[in-house]
Amino acid sequence: MSKLSRSPGWYKFRRNPLSVPSLVLVVLIIALAVFAPVVAPYPEHAGAVVDFINASLPPSWAHPFGTDVAGRDILSRIIFGYRISLVLGVVVLGIAVPIGVTLGLVAGYFGGWVDYVVMRITDIFLSVPPLVLAMAIMGLLEPTLLNGMMAVSAMWWPWYTRLAYNLARSESREGYVLAAEVIGASKAHILAREILPNCVPAVFTKITLDLGFVILIASSLSFLGLGVQPPTPDLGSMVAEGAQYLPDTWWMAVFPALAILVGVLGFNLLGDGLRDILDQRQ
Amino acid sequence: MSSSLLKAFALRLWTSLLVLVGVSILIFCIARVIPGDPARIALGPDASEDQVIQLRERLHLNEPLPVQYLEFVRNFAAGDLGMSLYTRRPVTTDIGSFLPATLELVFLAGLLVAAIGIPVGVLAARYRDRGIDHVVRLLALLGVVTPSFVWAILLMLIFAFFAELLPVAGRLSEGVAPPPTIVGMYTIDALIAGQWTTFLDAARHMVLPGLALALSGIGQIARMTRASVAETYAAPYIEMAQAYGFPERRIASRYALRPAMIPTLTILGLDFANMLGAAFLVEQVFAWPGLARYGVQAILHKDLNAIVGVVLIVSAFFLIVNILVDMAIAWLNPRIRLEPRRAM
Amino acid sequence: MIESPLLQIRDLTLSFASSHGPVEVLHGISLHVRRGEKVALVGESGSGKSVTARIVTGLLQSQRGTQANGYVRYEDQDLLKIGERAFRALRGIRLSMVFQDPTSALNPVFTIGDQFREVLRRASPDISIPEARRRAADALSHVLIHEPDRVLDSYPFQLSGGMNQRVLIAMALANRPALLVADEPGTALDVTVQDRTLKLMTSLIEQAGAAVLFISHNLGVVREFADRVYVIYRGRIVEHARTADLFANPRHPYTRALLSAVPKITGEPLPPLPEDNAAFSAPPVIHDGCAEPPVRGDIPQ
Repeated sequence: MSKLSRSPGWYKFRRNPLSVPSLVLVVLIIALAVFAPVVAPYPEHAGAVVDFINASLPPSWAHPFGTDVAGRDILSRIIFGYRISLVLGVVVLGIAVPIGVTLGLVAGYFGGWVDYVVMRITDIFLSVPPLVLAMAIMGLLEPTLLNGMMAVSAMWWPWYTRLAYNLARSESREGYVLAAEVIGASKAHILAREILPNCVPAVFTKITLDLGFVILIASSLSFLGLGVQPPTPDLGSMVAEGAQYLPDTWWMAVFPALAILVGVLGFNLLGDGLRDILDQRQ
Repeated sequence: MSSSLLKAFALRLWTSLLVLVGVSILIFCIARVIPGDPARIALGPDASEDQVIQLRERLHLNEPLPVQYLEFVRNFAAGDLGMSLYTRRPVTTDIGSFLPATLELVFLAGLLVAAIGIPVGVLAARYRDRGIDHVVRLLALLGVVTPSFVWAILLMLIFAFFAELLPVAGRLSEGVAPPPTIVGMYTIDALIAGQWTTFLDAARHMVLPGLALALSGIGQIARMTRASVAETYAAPYIEMAQAYGFPERRIASRYALRPAMIPTLTILGLDFANMLGAAFLVEQVFAWPGLARYGVQAILHKDLNAIVGVVLIVSAFFLIVNILVDMAIAWLNPRIRLEPRRAM
Repeated sequence: MIESPLLQIRDLTLSFASSHGPVEVLHGISLHVRRGEKVALVGESGSGKSVTARIVTGLLQSQRGTQANGYVRYEDQDLLKIGERAFRALRGIRLSMVFQDPTSALNPVFTIGDQFREVLRRASPDISIPEARRRAADALSHVLIHEPDRVLDSYPFQLSGGMNQRVLIAMALANRPALLVADEPGTALDVTVQDRTLKLMTSLIEQAGAAVLFISHNLGVVREFADRVYVIYRGRIVEHARTADLFANPRHPYTRALLSAVPKITGEPLPPLPEDNAAFSAPPVIHDGCAEPPVRGDIPQ
């Protein structure tokens, strides 16, 4: 750890007073998500449990965030909600990033008709405002978590293609690429071994920022009822449910909303901090 | 407009048209290829087998995909987007009646974003690292990370329940008749017809949804403007302007602002896309009878034709805004319009 | 009786605020420039020469955390005491500046003509557009730009570095300032272009009767164009002599190290000198005839 704290990257990261707290926050959220069954006070409330005796209770020591109309502990549901969101984020990015980056690198480096075709397709996907595309796809499919992942991935990959495309195009003019070409390295090798590693910082920063935005988009979708279905806890649908009972039982909407905010904020700030280290200003 | 700008505009128009065609193919394919029988879904689980078969015939669902698409294009050229399976009206009629409401809202939000976001960003850059800068950055950050539906609910809470200052549902209060339709936007139509009270009422209804829509964008633009202005001020040509004693006001409002606006405008286009998406949420919360709300209903009811129609219109609109933004950037940045552009 | 110098700096100290407390960058420097003289301030980067230039144009004093003390007189005014308004009356009119990289010193989104008009407006706030254009075209022809109209309608990125440098010189002299502060003029240019441009600049300055304070690390340029030279090292003036004297007979150890390190023919930037040579801290050397003139008694200090 001491070697890390002496590295110049860490110093730059620390300079921004918000970076370290955001790192802590993100680690906390991830920990909550991973250890949800253990950490949540009422893990069974993440499922189809009803306890009408304890319904609509305001925040208390037993239920720090109160209970919802079915008597389920909101704190526990939020923790599981984070789990769902992060799983979604990881899967979506796990699909979108490899596809998007590969397409972008290939288009950017090889140019020609490959470039044209790939970028035109990318343009098409990017012409539909992201949320709209995801909603339309979700609307046409059954609202399950899996379908949600597909829909959001489908709208997410073009952003990585564009990023990778721009990076590939500018990197392909750099000396090290020309040198490799002169030596006679295969194009595939150049892409994978030379260009790709130089794209990693920018892509990684974007991934961090995107984890936050996936939470945003996913909660927007489920707010409309297009995401996971009850009783699975999801931050967006919790807000939607809770919104019906405003303002009396305000905790049912407010705490999930805050949870969304905090999640997006954490990843966003962390992404900013990473950008400071990697200093990508193109 | 100089000829280079005109040429660029024509080119963009053409490529956007091609892209729109691509979008139509995309959404069409998605709509037809998804699992499930659209006809059955539309008719519901109680429909008889015959009804389903009939509907499938009517909708040409049994024919190969390219044929269906051509049918679609043919109809589209004639101005027909099919029937909404839910409202039982032609989709074009539905779109026509709901689009102006959404446009009205989105224009207002766009105006708010530019009119608030840019000056606030400039202010933060001017008083860099001092109190006001920190406040601005904090608020902007909150704007960016909070989903619009949360803003919508929050605003609703404050203004409907705690301080009943502004209306939270619909476009007009009960008992207020809409003005005679010219553009379809109540505020503009009311102004044209000289109906002052109607205008006020419509405007009041627009405030909260417009704000909810705009807050995220305001945050983004403020942040971008701040960064961009700060960066511009660090440039040698600004130091030179100061060394020559150019009036500070002139530097801020013209000399530094113009180059600083270029990155901001780029973000504005992106912001617009986000706003179009957010409209779907905000219109739901505020029961704003716009295209976005219609779209949500269409999606929830799996109304194929309507979904396709809505997506097309929204994309077309976004493409137009993109062209405008790109033209504005080209006007601002002489390098773009004068250096030969790679055919995109 | 020798008239008072145009610019007189005496015992100027300058410090910046930093997270570790105030950092002093100038430890009491003194220099003067008389009317029509060409004075060079030579040193490595970080020696304090650039900040000195910026004090004269008043760009530093107003920044937060800077603390400047001493005596800095230009014409009749104490530059450390006057406010922004007085500076505004000076900048661009009585005093102007030429920057290092000509292309980046010009605003990329405005035409040369637009920017020239802004400069002319400093001295003539109500100047009309056609009149401004006429005067700008005239000024450009003086710097040997042959198609002034085309240049006026162009953007900086469309012109070569040498052309932009000439535009900058034209702008600097347009309002007939008494003093020109040149920060590493021409450094960003190609060596051959540099030479021609500087010769042009010098002849124009002489014609206009302006004085020049030029900041440089390029000893070749200094040798050719300066009347007197101050050598600055780590915020202190270590040697001051007339140009010929300095190059013929450098006496301070730092100056000697500087001169021997530089390849004089190509005039390249200074290579880094060995840092902590104790000899460099030797007391300043003032050559004959180069003492600082007395400070005028009627200006309150």
